[in-house]
Amino acid sequence: MRGLAATFRNALAEVRSNRASFVSQISVMVLNDIVWVFFWVLFFRRVGSVRGWDGRNILLLLSVLTAAGGIALGVLANARRIGTMAVDGQLDAVLALPVPPLAHVLLRRVEATNVGDLVFGVVLFLSAGSPTPARAAVFVFAVAAASVLLTAFLVLAGSLAFFAGRNEAGELGFHAMIVLGAYPIDIFAGAAKVLLYTAVPAAFVSSVPARLIEDFDAGSAACLVAVAGVFAFAASASFTLGLRRYTSGSVWTR
Amino acid sequence: MFGHACVVAIEVQDLSKVFETGRRRHRRRVDAVDNLSFSVERGERVAYIGPNGAGKSTSIKILTGILHPTQGEASVLGVVPWLDRRRLAARIGTLFGQRSLLWFELTPRQSYRMLAAIYGLDRRREEARIGELGDLLEAGDLFDMPVRSLSLGQRMRCELAACMLHDPEVLFLDEPTIGLDLLAKQRFRELLVRLNTEQGTTIFLTSHDVADIEHVALRAMVINHGSLIYDNEVVAMRRALLSTKLVEVGLSRPAPAPALAGVTVLEHTETTMKLVVDTVTTSIRHVLDDLLDGLPVADISVVDPPLEQVIASIYGRSAV
Amino acid sequence: MTRRRWPGVTARTAALRVVAERGGMGVTLVFYVLVVVVLASLWRVAVGANGGNVAGYGAAAITWYVVTTEATVIALNNRLIADTGRDIGSGAVAVELLRPASVLGVRVFSELGRCLPRLVACAVVGGVLALVTAGAPPRPATLALAAPSLVLAVACNIVAQHAFAATAFWLRDAGSAWFLYQKLIFILGGMLIPLEALPGWLERTASLLPFRAMSYAPARLASGHLEPVLLVQQVGWLVVLVGLAGAAFRAGERRLQVVGG
Repeated sequence: MRGLAATFRNALAEVRSNRASFVSQISVMVLNDIVWVFFWVLFFRRVGSVRGWDGRNILLLLSVLTAAGGIALGVLANARRIGTMAVDGQLDAVLALPVPPLAHVLLRRVEATNVGDLVFGVVLFLSAGSPTPARAAVFVFAVAAASVLLTAFLVLAGSLAFFAGRNEAGELGFHAMIVLGAYPIDIFAGAAKVLLYTAVPAAFVSSVPARLIEDFDAGSAACLVAVAGVFAFAASASFTLGLRRYTSGSVWTR
Repeated sequence: MFGHACVVAIEVQDLSKVFETGRRRHRRRVDAVDNLSFSVERGERVAYIGPNGAGKSTSIKILTGILHPTQGEASVLGVVPWLDRRRLAARIGTLFGQRSLLWFELTPRQSYRMLAAIYGLDRRREEARIGELGDLLEAGDLFDMPVRSLSLGQRMRCELAACMLHDPEVLFLDEPTIGLDLLAKQRFRELLVRLNTEQGTTIFLTSHDVADIEHVALRAMVINHGSLIYDNEVVAMRRALLSTKLVEVGLSRPAPAPALAGVTVLEHTETTMKLVVDTVTTSIRHVLDDLLDGLPVADISVVDPPLEQVIASIYGRSAV
Repeated sequence: MTRRRWPGVTARTAALRVVAERGGMGVTLVFYVLVVVVLASLWRVAVGANGGNVAGYGAAAITWYVVTTEATVIALNNRLIADTGRDIGSGAVAVELLRPASVLGVRVFSELGRCLPRLVACAVVGGVLALVTAGAPPRPATLALAAPSLVLAVACNIVAQHAFAATAFWLRDAGSAWFLYQKLIFILGGMLIPLEALPGWLERTASLLPFRAMSYAPARLASGHLEPVLLVQQVGWLVVLVGLAGAAFRAGERRLQVVGG
């Protein structure tokens, strides 16, 4: 535990070692996210509401997605690099240490740009999410669950690279989650909708949490936690199994 | 005394590792390690050498628990590396020449703090150990500079401190001197010997630099195509295989080749001369003296035979 | 005067490289399909909720629109500005001054070559996707105009990105700010939302800026609007942007030669 805390402290120290660039990277991401707010405002101004979604709850969706994305891609920045690390043999340094490798890898790197997403998400919720103590509590819970799910999904998709020897699946999984999570689930129908509640659980990283904040219901909350738990377990298992097939880049250098 | 386990540091029995590369139809099997067996006692300084692609790194990665073998057995300090990687990791140190334990943007001390926490050292132990290593590796003044501002030689000394922090019983080094200049290499080799003699650390070193073997190791194992082809004391190896040096002379004007005992002329032009010196029959110092006295020398250098030549002579010998 | 061969050769070499690495192309296409399906679904649902028409676009028109705008953006290398800026900032571009061809020209043509195979692939896949999900284009004849317009859009974008990246000759590490440039196309270029659906003041602003030439123009054509003037505007913007980028690179190269990299 002490080791993991020290690792994370160093990751933070590293990302802040160049203060000016840290601040500018965060600001750029915040501006980037504001473009999305702008889009949704313009969109709903024009079309009214769409299948129960309007300018108000879409901003809740955006705040949960960016905050959870900020944690999974910014604070635990290596989550989306698992596949690359597996293929390029970058896990040697971790495996030579007496630490639980997945936890260490995840805490080892913070990415300033995506920390900007986290900052944005929180600020957006506070400014446009009509925060009350109860809603804020649900927001924190939902972001926590969504970020666990998102991180787990990225690790799971990346771990496929241990078995496939290539990382296309990881890359696509990452893009799919981010793109699909950015839109309300109800614009989809049929098989696509089922898919987004199961194999690519994008519904649970944005739409479901946003609805929970608006209108809390224990059943959906339990569902969210359960899905996050299942994916976390699958991610950890596939990473651990994958390590047995890890080739450390030795295929080329031996 | 305490039996077998306390004396033996590394034990390898019929170890194999097969990589499968390429996709479907182009699938290809590569036997990176092929039925390897050896054992190393505690306190030894072993050079584990072979050309690129011989299987050195793969076997060292199996011994440190990073890779799982396809077949065979191994134990390091009584632990099976791939089954109990974390327990073993706490007792060994690893230094891979091309991969860093240090964080590029931070100072070595910041990295040491993290590593100390990971290895469960308390703060007092940590401070004491960093001080001790700083003195031993003559690197104390480097510990508070950002790693990105260090030269490669300085960085490698800081890397060595990083992997020695938890006082490992065995130190695995994979090509640690690669990329260093001559002086830094020499200094690094001296430090390894010092760690071994003063702290009793077992040194297991891979390299394809013949000089690493001569200056660090007491025992040399040569591996090629995944199997051990030679295992002997370095003294014996030097007598048998490293008994020649190559002398290259630049001439300021044309001169006849000298006739010296134990010296063969390999190449002779108007401006250069290449000689092979048999160090069993004569000493290199003696030859250099004679050359400098008798020839219009503009430039002179002495080099070790390349590893490929050493390996060729191993094969040559075993074929006889 | 001998005909200069390097633009064609540069573009072809770059194109062949992209075609050779099929894995990367696959990822691009899957990503493209994903984005198009999602954005088109959103707009079709919105059109349905508004009596079949939003800002003059019906379900089929909006689908063809989205398919086209996304192709103009996804066919591009999204790290182009950052990479170009890095090459300039690090002085790597100095080596290119030694070639007997314009630095900017070689870079632009090689980037065009890189992105044309992707553009064609996206356009074909997008066309099929639109046919299947929304039916035939509202006015098939306009597709004949949309095709050259797509190429012009991408060319405008690449040249404009080089003009932006040229700031690296003077500013060190402005890297992340360039990232925002691409986002301007999202709204002002009409990528996410047709310009007609913007509020009046914003639509007027967008009509004065070059971004509409980079995404909106071909999409407007593909969605069944026979407006050849869009092509003329694109050519006009391309000339202006080439002038800007050329001036920026010439000034930058002079500075590089005086001050050093």
